[in-house]
Amino acid sequence: MKLLTRTTLYFLAAMVPLLAVGGYLLFYQFSNEINKRVDRELVSEEVQWIRYLQTATAGGSRFILRSPDILIYPVVDNPTLYPQITTTFDKRENDNQQVSFRQLRHVVSVRGVPYQIIIRKSQEQKSALVANVTWIMLIVFMGLFAVMMLFNWLISRKVWQPFRETLQKIRTMELGKMPAVHFDRTATEEFTELNASLNSMTQKIYSDYRSMKEFTENAAHEMQTPLAVAQSKLELLLQDESLGEPQIQTIAQASMALNRLSKLNQSLLLLARIENNQYVAREPVSMAEITRKYLRLFEEIIQDKGLHVHTEFWDNFFIWVHPFLADSLVSNLLGNAIKYNYAGGEIQVSITEKEYCIANTSRLPAIEPEQLFKRFHTAGDTGEPSTGLGLAIVKRIAENHHLQVVYGKEGETHRFCLTKTQDNV
Amino acid sequence: MKVLVIEDEPALRDSIQTYLEQQGFVCEAVADFRSGMEKVRQYQYDCVVVDIGLPFGSGLNIVRELKFMEARSGIIIISAKASLEDKLTGLELGSDDYLTKPFHLSELNARIHAIIRRRNFGGSKAINFHEIRLEPESQAVSVDGKGVELTEKEYQLLEYFIANQRRVLTKAAIATHIWGDEYEQVSNYDFIYTHIKNLRKKLIDAGSGDYIKTVYGTGYRFTDS
Repeated sequence: MKLLTRTTLYFLAAMVPLLAVGGYLLFYQFSNEINKRVDRELVSEEVQWIRYLQTATAGGSRFILRSPDILIYPVVDNPTLYPQITTTFDKRENDNQQVSFRQLRHVVSVRGVPYQIIIRKSQEQKSALVANVTWIMLIVFMGLFAVMMLFNWLISRKVWQPFRETLQKIRTMELGKMPAVHFDRTATEEFTELNASLNSMTQKIYSDYRSMKEFTENAAHEMQTPLAVAQSKLELLLQDESLGEPQIQTIAQASMALNRLSKLNQSLLLLARIENNQYVAREPVSMAEITRKYLRLFEEIIQDKGLHVHTEFWDNFFIWVHPFLADSLVSNLLGNAIKYNYAGGEIQVSITEKEYCIANTSRLPAIEPEQLFKRFHTAGDTGEPSTGLGLAIVKRIAENHHLQVVYGKEGETHRFCLTKTQDNV
Repeated sequence: MKVLVIEDEPALRDSIQTYLEQQGFVCEAVADFRSGMEKVRQYQYDCVVVDIGLPFGSGLNIVRELKFMEARSGIIIISAKASLEDKLTGLELGSDDYLTKPFHLSELNARIHAIIRRRNFGGSKAINFHEIRLEPESQAVSVDGKGVELTEKEYQLLEYFIANQRRVLTKAAIATHIWGDEYEQVSNYDFIYTHIKNLRKKLIDAGSGDYIKTVYGTGYRFTDS
């Protein structure tokens, strides 16, 4: 439920008893006024009747009048000092409906004879008044409701506009692009306060995020020099003429492990740099061209393995990406297609305007979706060196450049496809 | 041939100096920007190997100075920064090559050889090793004057072997030299075996000595002893 609808409902709920009390007071006031007027009329009518009685009974005759609304007859009773006016209920003659009456009772002595005078007046108009008051109250209530709703809508459109803008900004916010987002001052103090808090929050998050990224990058970077030292020392040691074969092998193994570590480090550095957006695309890159380059580069290895490469370049697939990252995309995907293939297997590269696909045969089972782009996940026991970062790099590059990587397996064929989400033109 | 190494990390500086001296270079090594500048202003080197991040100044300024002086030395930048921009800046300033740390000493050595040869305008550019002769410009190889047909990779292998003669070369170093860093994404280094086997066979068939020795489980050594 919207905040304004909620407050309006509470407001209306509070209005109901208020209107009821108002209605009751209004009715009470009117009813009193009417009673007073009717009473005055009754009294003046009575005065006329007494005057008439006095003339009519001048000859000593007795007078009796019986009509629905006026009763006058002699009684054996003591005259009362004041007329007694009450509200009574009786049936209406024509339809037997219970109607309230205002009734005056008075015993007066006319020429020594006590007469009972009862005059009554229907108060049908008074029940009409109740209905009227109820109607008015209802109309006021409905009007109030309608006006509230209208204002609600107008206010919500205008006053809440900055709030909605803020919400939209939060929804579309990306960690890497936080500095570009700024929450402006608004005419409403609360929203300004909210936006100011959001600004300081995003700044804090972003600076934390940046320092973390920088740390990763610096750590990886600082590791390169000691790695270089260790690598060079082992290489020198390897040249020592006095070493026997087992020693040389030990050094070579250490050197290989170091090599692996340095590759791993470079991949992590690359990932950190991609995440820090240090590779800015300047022009569209032709994936067909890069693929041809890497097919040439890997030619011997493809031949050694007896792989059959089918290329179907229907069209060219251009993407906005830094050339170094485009190289990384292709070398990782094509490299995997070669590495995890079996001898005599097949590789298919198909390029259309919309899609860039590399498919290869492999005896490996399909990659679990949740493992697919996970860092340091390597495919089983293939005996091939792998950092386990290749696909993570592919995924990261894709995500940073509005590309989508889709993986699928049919039979022995594993297929990776790159497609553009609308933004990468 | 004289080489100057400007590198602030002492252990790495020593390694480079030792390896290059073993390969027959006269190698001087300094640790910072100032002494580097002094050296390049005072002496002539065939090749200067310079790190970018140096105490008291950037190695890139030494490259600028060398270019300003129109020195005939070849220049190789070695840096821990692998970014393409740094590489391009270095090459634009007139550096001949750029190596990212960590690198194989054999790789640095091979590149220094290649640069010095390219810059040796007057003299012969041919590489000789006993009866084997390489013509880098045409990539032609001959044994005792008789031509040998080598593939591009086999030629690169041979050139690399001769530059690093008598040294144990690991498979990783060889693979990186011939196929670049990206071969690792494709295969382990066992595939270089085929290429070395072919090269060896072609050379022996042409009448050369058997210089390529296998260092079991490690790599290869090109040696005449």
